[in-house]
Order: sequence, then structure tokens, then C-alpha cells
Amino acid sequence: MGGWLALPKEWIGSFGSIAKFSGKILKQVYTLRVLHFFGETLRQCGVLILGSTLVIWGLVFIVGLQCGIEGAYFTRAQGAPAYSGVFAAWCDLREIVPYGFGYMMAAKVGTGIVAELGSMRISDEIDALEVMGIDSVLFLCATKLLASWLVLPFMYMAAVGAGFFASYLAVVQQIGEVSPGGFSLIFWMFQNPPDLLYSVIKAMVMATAIVLVGCYYGYHAGGGPVGVGTATAKSMVMNIVLVHLIGMLGTQVFWGANPRAPIGG
Amino acid sequence: MTDTPRDHDDDLYADGYEGDGRDAAEPAPTPDDERLAGAGPAHAAADAPAAATSASVVREAPPSDDDEDEYRWHTGMNRPTGVPDAVEFVDVHKAFGRNKILRGLNMGLPEGKISMILGPSGTGKSVCIKHMVGLLYPDEGDVLVHGESVPNMTDDELFDMRKRFGVLFQDGALFGSMNLVDNVAFPLRQHTDKSEDEILEIVYKRLDEVGLGSAHDKMPNELSGGMRKRAGFARALVLDPNIVLFDEPDSGLDPVRTALLCELIQEIHEENGGCYTVITHDIMSARRVAEYISVLWRGRIVEAGPAEELFNSDNAFVRQFLSGESQGPLGME
Repeated sequence: MGGWLALPKEWIGSFGSIAKFSGKILKQVYTLRVLHFFGETLRQCGVLILGSTLVIWGLVFIVGLQCGIEGAYFTRAQGAPAYSGVFAAWCDLREIVPYGFGYMMAAKVGTGIVAELGSMRISDEIDALEVMGIDSVLFLCATKLLASWLVLPFMYMAAVGAGFFASYLAVVQQIGEVSPGGFSLIFWMFQNPPDLLYSVIKAMVMATAIVLVGCYYGYHAGGGPVGVGTATAKSMVMNIVLVHLIGMLGTQVFWGANPRAPIGG
Repeated sequence: MTDTPRDHDDDLYADGYEGDGRDAAEPAPTPDDERLAGAGPAHAAADAPAAATSASVVREAPPSDDDEDEYRWHTGMNRPTGVPDAVEFVDVHKAFGRNKILRGLNMGLPEGKISMILGPSGTGKSVCIKHMVGLLYPDEGDVLVHGESVPNMTDDELFDMRKRFGVLFQDGALFGSMNLVDNVAFPLRQHTDKSEDEILEIVYKRLDEVGLGSAHDKMPNELSGGMRKRAGFARALVLDPNIVLFDEPDSGLDPVRTALLCELIQEIHEENGGCYTVITHDIMSARRVAEYISVLWRGRIVEAGPAEELFNSDNAFVRQFLSGESQGPLGME
């Protein structure tokens, strides 16, 4: 009995620990205590912008091409190539760009946070911060969360633009069965500003989860370099699962009841 | 606050074995008796004395009732220094899972002196440091800093209290993302309103003191282990703390640099005063700088007192440890 219950118990225990730790970080941001280290927050913004922007945009550009190609060939097979913009609009904004963003956030930012905090933990740097009278969670984790909130909405919206541009290139310039005006008409008809807002919310929830999970596993890493590696792997697994859960729930909540498609009446 | 047994280097207590002390006046067993204690089945107790003349690994151990032998050298004697204690441990117990590290530790670190906590590897010396600064909390007992109970402090009180401390970690614990100047300036930038010019003046002075004036723009990964330690020392002192803790400052250093570091500790202490506590198992360092010594073993104090008195102690364990001899109560176990 105890044997098969041990694993779920461990999962529930881990989830509880992560939730508690995340709650502490969120409280530090919402109560604005994090502004005590606004300089560090700005530094983290810089790290995010310089270190992650191009790879996120690059990945989203590629998946944008993919959406465009899939949409063009699918609608051509149905004898309606002019409607390839429908597939591209939904694929880009609602699904692939958030997922691509989430994957790259998990792979680049999430694991980066675990590696950074984990190596600080095993080399006593976190203890050194604490004994200097500095709240290490506030300094290391809350600043990263605030920085991600400051930077990522803009980075994400630009990534959406990169995805749109890539789909346009694939449909109009590469496959070339739709005129630029025809593609744009359908493409913009099947999305509106609230869709962009929902997409940003979806991505920001993913980003928040990824940063919090990364902070948890990095801050609590132990057991030397191997322990840091293990924590990094665990965080990656959890973040990929969370990205898909959040993606699924976001689609259900934002477009499940009302697909917001101008079809029929 | 973290409460994870991250870096204590102790597996000695992994079996959960826990002695409860024996009359200190009881006749002292031979060194081999000591090695045999608790190592095997009970029926071979009568064979134990013969172990002195043969390989201990083939001998059977005395009965478990003799586990109390574990503390027969722990007189707990604390010779008075005439000054109040800056830090006090009151009957402190600490375990990590089944590993009992501190087992009723009573220890004081006198104000205004350079104290040393000496003891074999894995006896809980680094764990003591973490209790002093509130990185770990005792399972039982209390830790007092200038009379204030560390475990009962709120987070804000704890952070304030820590500003009175400077800690030199084993490898310096420099921040890898900052160069030397930024590392040393970090506490000043966070906790003072000094101008950048004033901060840099203090930082360069401290770096010069530790011989790193020419390496100020180097990153930690460009420094040798000894340089990182000295940089950590400069950072620990930059706020002029009342209490400075050194966690094995001599580990990994060559003898000359160890001697120079010890001299530096003495010079800075003469200049600034306060309670300096050095954790080490290097006897030469103890002879050089210690004014007060606490010998820690198996989670309790064996004896404590002014350095010259400890070096002349009659306690066989203290005598063996402070002379670094292989023969005596302390074996490889």
C-alpha cells in the first residue's frame, strides 16, 4: 500500500513545496518589496533581452513558417487556397507561438535560472547573500520574476509579429497561391485584438510558471554539480508539462466556448 | 530561510548511533578499544582488550551498552576567560535525517578574542557557523548572539542581526557574475548610503590589505583558490562587523600563505577588535592565532578555554588532537 502511494505522495509534496515557494516570491513582487532591488531587476531585464530574445524570435519565426506551409497545403487540398490565412492566423496566435515561446523559455530561461541558482547554492553564494543580511529569495527570485513580467510581454508580442511575418512569407512568397491582399484579408478577419490579449496572457502564465519552477529547483538544488544537473532536468520536465497544461487550459478558457470565427451568421 | 543540510561533510552519524555519555572518571581504554566501540555484536566484549595487539578489523566489538564510552573524553570543561560571550550555544541538538550532528552542544565564543573551533572532520564545525547566522536552526536548544535568541528572531530581525556578521566561506563564495571590486563593494552598496567614491576607497583599502590590489578587475573564475579566500576575507570585513566567522580559511592553502593569512587575521583583529571565530583542524593555525579554543567532537565540546591552557590540557583526546598524533582516543572511525 505504502509502496504505490509513495510516488503520488512525493509529487503532492513537491507540488506543495513549489506552491509555497512560488507564493512567497509572488507576494514579494505584489507587495513591491522587490523594488528594493530594482537595479538587480533591471540587470535581469538586460540578461533576458540580450540572452533570450533572438532565440525566441528565431524559433517562433520557424514555427510561423511551418504554420504558413501547413495552412497553404491544407487549404489547397480542399480547393480553397485563398483561405490559408485562417489556418495561419489561428495556428500562429493561438497555439504555435505560445508553445514555441514556452518551449524556448523552458529550455533557455528556465534551465538557465536553475543552473545559475543551483551553482550559487552549491558554491555557498546564496548563503553568503543571506549572511550579508540580504533576503536571497527577494534578491535572486523576485527580481527575476518582475524582470520577466517587464520584458516578456513586449518580447512575446514581437515574437507574434515574427510568426505572422514568417507565415506571410511561406504562404505568399514561397508557395504563392494567394495574393498579399487576399492573405491579409482572411488572416486579419480571423483574429482581433482580444485574441492577441488572450495569447499574451497564455504566454505570460507560461513564463511565470517557468520562472517560478526554475527558481524553486535552482534555489533548492543540492548534492554538488550532479545535483544541479538533476534539478535542471527535473525543472525541464515539469516546465514542459506545465507549458502544455497551460496551453490546453488557455485554449479551452479563451476560445473553447466561443471560437471567435467569422463563419456563418 | 533555508534549512537544508547542503554542505556539512559528515557521514559519521549515518547509522543513527547515539551514545549517552559515561562517567569521565572511568579508566581510559586503549586506542584500539576506542576504535572497536560500537562496531560489532555484543558477545565479544571480553575479547576487546586483546584488540590492542592485533588488527582491529578482525576483532568483535564490545556490547552496545558501552556506547556511552563515546563521551568519556567530553569533560565539557569551560575554563573562564573573564569576558562575556558574544555567541552562546545552549544545549543545541541538530540532526539531518538520522544523522545527529550536534548532540547537546554547549559552547561560548568570548567577546574581543580570536576563538578557534577545532575538531576532527565531520564533527559539526561548519554546522555551528550556520547556526550562528541563522542559516540553520537547532532542533532543540538555543543559539544566542549578544544575548538574543537567533531561532526566535523574525526575518527582519535576523537580517539586521546578520549585518553584524562577516563570514568567510570555505571557497570564498564570491559572486561569479561580479568582478572583485563589485564583490567586495556589494555589502556596502546594499547596506550603506556611502557615495560610490567612498565605497571604492574602502574596497581598494581592503583589497590592498589582503594583497589583491592589482587584481581588482578580475572575475572570480580568474582567481586561484587562495586569492578567492582572500577576496572573501576582504568582503567579510568591509562592513567592519562585530563578529567574523572563518570557515576553514587555511584549507587548500600552502603553508606560507596559511601563515600569512593567519597574520592577516591577527592584524585585522588588533585593528578592529570584535569576536573572531576560526573553524579549522589545522593545529599550526591554532597555535598561531588562537586566543581561545573549543575542541568539538561528536557534536559536543570536549574542552574549551584559553589557548595556552588547552595546549597544556591533561585530557587525552585534547592532547592527541592538539599535538596531531596518531596514538590516542581518536581513531579513523
